[in-house]
Formats: sequence, structure tokens, C-alpha cells
Amino acid sequence: MLFSGMPFLFYFLPVVLIIYFIVPKCLKNTVLMLSSLIFYGWGEPKYLFLMIGSILLGYFLGMAIDKSKTAGLKKLFLSLSVISSVILLGFFKYADFFIYNFNAVTGLSIPLLKIALPIGISFYTFQILSYTIDVYRGDVPYQKNIINFATYVALFPQLIAGPIVRYVDVCRELEERTHSFEKFYLGIRRFAVGLSKKVLIANQMGEVCDVFRESADKSVLFFWVYALAFAIHVYFDFSGYSDMAIGLGKVFGFNFIENFNYPYISKSISEFWRRWHMSLGSWFRDYVYIPLGGNRVKTMRWLFNTFVVWMLTGLWHGAAWNFVVWGLIYAILLIGEKFFVRKLIGKNAIIAHIYTMLFVIIGFVVFNAPNMATAGQDLIGMFGLGGYALSSKATIYHLSSNAVIFILGIIGSTPLPKKLHSKLSESKLQGLISVIEPVAVVCLLLVCTAYLVDGSYNPFLYFRF
Amino acid sequence: MKIKYILSSLLIIAVMLTLSVLAWMKAPGATSESERRPLAQFPEISVDTVLSGKFTKEFESYATDQFPFRDSFRTLKAISKFYIFRQNDNNDIYIHDGYAAKLESTISDASITNAVNKLNYLYKTYIEGKTSNVYLSIIPDKNTTLAGAGNYPSLDYNKLTESVVSGVPFAKYIDVFPLLHYTDYYKTDTHWSQEKIVDVAHAILDAMGAEKTSDYKEVTLDTDFYGVYYGQSSLPLPPDKITYLTNETIENCKVYNYEGTDGVLENIKPSKVYNMDKLNSKDPYEMFLSGAVNLMRIVNEKNTSGKKLIIFRDSYTSSLAPLMTEGYSEIILIDIRYLASHFIGAFVSPEEFENADVLFLYSALILNQSMSFK
Repeated sequence: MLFSGMPFLFYFLPVVLIIYFIVPKCLKNTVLMLSSLIFYGWGEPKYLFLMIGSILLGYFLGMAIDKSKTAGLKKLFLSLSVISSVILLGFFKYADFFIYNFNAVTGLSIPLLKIALPIGISFYTFQILSYTIDVYRGDVPYQKNIINFATYVALFPQLIAGPIVRYVDVCRELEERTHSFEKFYLGIRRFAVGLSKKVLIANQMGEVCDVFRESADKSVLFFWVYALAFAIHVYFDFSGYSDMAIGLGKVFGFNFIENFNYPYISKSISEFWRRWHMSLGSWFRDYVYIPLGGNRVKTMRWLFNTFVVWMLTGLWHGAAWNFVVWGLIYAILLIGEKFFVRKLIGKNAIIAHIYTMLFVIIGFVVFNAPNMATAGQDLIGMFGLGGYALSSKATIYHLSSNAVIFILGIIGSTPLPKKLHSKLSESKLQGLISVIEPVAVVCLLLVCTAYLVDGSYNPFLYFRF
Repeated sequence: MKIKYILSSLLIIAVMLTLSVLAWMKAPGATSESERRPLAQFPEISVDTVLSGKFTKEFESYATDQFPFRDSFRTLKAISKFYIFRQNDNNDIYIHDGYAAKLESTISDASITNAVNKLNYLYKTYIEGKTSNVYLSIIPDKNTTLAGAGNYPSLDYNKLTESVVSGVPFAKYIDVFPLLHYTDYYKTDTHWSQEKIVDVAHAILDAMGAEKTSDYKEVTLDTDFYGVYYGQSSLPLPPDKITYLTNETIENCKVYNYEGTDGVLENIKPSKVYNMDKLNSKDPYEMFLSGAVNLMRIVNEKNTSGKKLIIFRDSYTSSLAPLMTEGYSEIILIDIRYLASHFIGAFVSPEEFENADVLFLYSALILNQSMSFK
């Protein structure tokens, strides 16, 4: 089920909210768990059992790790958890990728399995892994109540596109959390902002990308318009989903971690990755990079660690070479930044920002290409080497037709709107703002509803991960 | 502060819950008048449909199609797109100078090839050796002049025309592009207005050496005509009015409509050129020769020359063909979107092609979307 779909907004969510707030405290997690299973089963009925199996495995292995008396046994159960997760992801997400490449290298023709990727598998597998690793490390006690554990893994607000909520961050709230009108309103407000980012900005930019791909009237400028449109699309799509997840979490009394912190204002690639998909970045840092030794190792080992982490980050996003290359581009950029790029750029903030955004945009062109050949053609086109005219009628039309969305996308990627809202809320207009704001939230929800009623373009980009 | 959050929450709950309750309770509608299409209905629930995902997929269409105040929400979206976000089109429909049109800028080579192949098939199967009076005319759509006037992208009409003309060397090309301007079309519909295309009829008749007339009575109907782009744009555009041209010849023509019959001419009850019953249908443009029809004969008993015109056509011809009746004893209209090409011989005999004028008359839009040709 999509957050930005009529079944969720007007059939599922209202019913779940009513039941959730009617039932006594002791049943709230049960309501959340059951509704989460319905939410997941709605889109993936056949994979519901896979997720339930993963939950049971995670629950019993967490218990086994905690109850084991010896370090060897603990390690054994942790290894089982890691291996089962890797097998699960490997089979459902990467099997065909490996078979395809194995065939290409060996000349064999082993048939592809053609398995549909279970939605959200990368997210919930990582959540279960973080739980068993944290239990192993002794950072958290194991969860005795299977309903609470299932609620943690399947919690529908963040189930299919994150943020990757770690058990340690919500274990207290699973047992004890509070609800209030303040949390409800602020949660819905955040949800409305996220929905608007998705429907009013991301979807429009996504359509520009689709039009570009099909256009027979491409130009150098159109390649750049596409690249910028996709950068805005991917940010507003994913951060919009995270906003909706965090907002819904707040409504149900949870405080999920932030996933984005204005990544497009970054002045270096390393800063960008501290601001982009933070829950994934910190997951890889804490569970892969640091266990490998992090940066407190010799240079060659650090280079190895960096390449491994970024190759895995790329692969996590999808089983295709362009994702691997996308990850490795970041490895090279981060290594370059450590050794010489920072010195080259100096302290000029504007140049640093241009450098960062140029490579972020180039990276996303590779990321969004259906294959490496198209990625290469797109980059060639962007830099005027594809024999295209500088501009074209279609370019000017789509640029001018979407100019306001582009401007809103660029401004909305900065902290400016938030700062403006804070200033107004603290100014003499505070009273007026407190009246206008809920009306604006309702208006946003209604306009988004209008777009959803009449729209056909509504995919979530991060569903494929 | 607390009261602020309570009131704000209650406002949101009231609005969203009201819509939710209405969505749950609303009786499903059958069709969307503005979009001219059937609306999705509540899907069948069974173990199979649920497990296969069919139920959920169809429920999503149902929930979207049957949402309360759907048309008002569609208009809200169109207004947001045009007037708040200043986008130039909604659902690919743009409006310039009060005329609505659909953006179409990519030539489909596959479609053009398919169309050319079909026309060649028709020529080789039914026409070759029977008559040399074979003509082709391509009807420009509104975009031809409207897109340029408003800087909207459009098809490369020269390329499209060249591709088709060079693909059917057996047909003499009649160029009507210079005769048409976007003001010759309805504001809310794709089709041209009949009272504005007499010159087009004359140009084609001149090229074919057929008799023509300008003696028409112009009748403007009271019925509001909301064309296909009205619903697609979702904007509250003013309706068009339909004007039709008539004279004694047209009024006396007998129309034999094969749609829904056993295909035997003798069993078909003749009707009139203008079907006024269609004014109350979803598409009042269908008053011209009853709209989408697979095969039709217009018999003009006043003309005793025995001269026949066979037109392979689309819907644009419905309003043009009545203006061509004067010079022919019979006009046969064939729409291969609804009648398979290989099946034409069952209804139109080879003798009927002997010395007949044969006209391939297609709009550029249809040639670019010809995969529906059978």
C-alpha cells in the first residue's frame, strides 16, 4: 500500500487510527502489528509469510543470543542471523544479478530465477540485523514479547522505505509511549508536508524525467534539465516518504530518527552523506565500516574498507552495475576529498557547493539509468559530446512549464522554508500563524488528494530497494 | 497552546474523516461523464484475487475512480497546475487562445509504418487494377497551428506527411494543411467544425474532379457541446456549439449504417446524415453520421451518374463526408479501426471499386497512433 494512495489515506489509515485510539493501552501494539501485516500483505500477499518468517527468526535468534551462556554460542547465533539475512537478501534481491553476470563471464546460460523483489526487504532485513547485533553486543536486552518485536519490524509507517529504525532507538517506546493532541497534530502536519513533497514536487519532476527519456527532441540543455529534475525528484520522493513515516510515527507515539538534513546544501561529498539517507549511512558505519576497522587503520586497509562499504551501499540500492558504479564513484570522491580535493577547493563555499552538487547530480544520472550504456550516453549528452543541439523546443517547453516546480524544489531543498516558518511562529504574527497553519495543512491534504484522484504517475522510487 | 493543538487536530480530523466516511459510504457511479469512460467498480473478492494481488490493484482503481466529489477534485488539480504552479498543461492538455489541445510531439515510426503497410494492403487487395482514381489526404490536427502560436511542442508534420506520402505512391496527395487554422476546430474537442471546412471539401473534390456546391443552410444547435478535451483538461471551459450544414441533397440522402446489423444491405433500415438522437449522447459530435461506425453507405438518389466514392477514414470524415455527397451517387465509408481490413470484401464487392474514386482520408493524429488499424 502506498502512503500516497487513496486506499491508504481514506480507507486504511482512518480505520486504523480510530481502532488504535479506542483500544486500551495493552492492545495498541497488537493493533499496530495486525494493521502493519495488513498494510504489507495488501501489496505483497505472497511475501507476507516471508516477512513473518523473518520476524520469527529474528525473534528467536535474538532470544538465543541473549540466553546463551558462552561467547561461542552467542557468536554462533549471531552468525546464523547474519547468514540467514544475507541468504534472504541474496536470494530475493541479488540471485538474478549474480546468475546473469556469471553467465556473461563463463558463457553458460543458467536460467534466471525471475523472482519479484519483496517490497521493503532491504529495510526490514537491516532492522532485524541491527536488533540481533545490538543484542549480541549487549547494547539492548532481547525483546521478550513477540508482538512488540513484530510491531518493531513490521511497523507500517516505516516498513517499506525507512527510515531504518534501530531497535535501540524505539525499544522503550515499544513498551511505553505517550499520545497527545500535540503529537497528533505535529505528526499529521509532518505527514502532510511529506505527502506534498511527494505528490506536488517529486511526481512532477518524475514526469519530466519520463518525458525526457521518451523525447525525440533532446538537447544538451534537456540532459541537464533531466539531471536536475531527477535530483529534485529523488530527494523529494525519498525525504517526503521519510517525512510521512516520521509524522505517522509521531501520531502513534514514536520518535523515529531523522533521515535527511538538507543534503543539497552540502559543501563536500562527506557532508552530503552525513545529511542524505542518514539511517542507512549510520547503519553501514556502525555495522560494517567500524567493525572493519573504520579509519583507524593503515591507509591501504582504509582504502579497502571504504571501497567495501560504498560498493555495498551501491548494491543495497539495487542489483545492477550502475548502482555499484554509483557507490564506487562516492568511494573515489571521498578518498579524493581526504587526500587532495579539500586543499584544491580551499575554503570557498560557493566552489565547494558547486563541486558537491555537480558530482551528486552526475551520480544520480548514473543511479537512475536503466543500464550503464544509457548512463554513459546521458553523461556524454550532458557534456555536449553526443551531437545534440544546445537547446530544443521540447527543452524550453518542459523547462518553462515546470519552472515554478524547479524553483520550489530548489528552495525546498534548503532550510529556508523551515527558518521562515520558525521566524514567523516566533514573531508578532504568531497568533495568525497558529490559525493559518492548520488551514494550510488541510489545504495541502486536499490539493494532494486532487492530484491523486486525477493522477496516474505515483510510483515510489525507494520501493525497489 | 494545548487548545491550539486540539482545535488544529479536530479540524484535520473533521475534514479527512468526512471524506473517508463518504468514500466508504458512497454508492459507486457507473461512468464519468466528463472523462467519457466507465468507472472502476468494486472488485471481486476471492482467495485467488486477494493472493494474486488482483483485488488490491483493482481496489486502488476503484478507490480513485469512485472518490467523492471526483470531478471537483480534478478541477482543483487543474487549477493548481495552471494557476498556482504555472504549468502549461494538465494531463497533456494545454489551452491557448481559448482552444484546448493535446500535446503530441513524438512521431511514432512504428505507427507510421503500420499505417503505410495497411494502406498498401488495402490497395493491393481491393483497389489495384480496378481504378486509378486513388487519393490521399492527411488532416492536420489543431496542434498544427495552435502549438506554434503558443510555443508548445508538436509533431514534425512535414516529416510525418513525407513518410506517409512516399509510402503510398499509388495515391495522389491532396494537401489541405494550408486551408486549416486552429480556429477551424472546436475549442474543447479534437474535431473540426463543419461550417469551417467547406473549403477543405472543395479542395478534395476539385482534386478528384467531382462536383461541388456551396449552397448550404447553416444551423446552429442549442445543445452545449463539451468536447473530449473539456473532460481531460478538467477546467471549467465554456462549451462549444455545434453548427451543421445542410441542403436538399444532404437531407434526402439515405444512410445505411452496418453497425450492429447482420451486414446484409437489404436488411438495414436507412437513416439520415445527421443523427439528432446523438446530441444527447456522451459525444454530441456523433450527430455527424452517427459517430464511430465500421461501415456505412450514403446513397444520394438525386445523383444518377452511378459515380462512387470509397473513403477509408476516421472520425474527422464524419463531418466532411456530407459536404461531398453532391457529386456522387454513393459514398462508402470504411473505418478499419472497427472493420478488419481482410473482411471488407464481405460487404463491399470488387465491382464497387471499379472506376470508383478511392480516398484515404486520415488525421495526422490517427496515423501517429495507427496500431488500432485492423
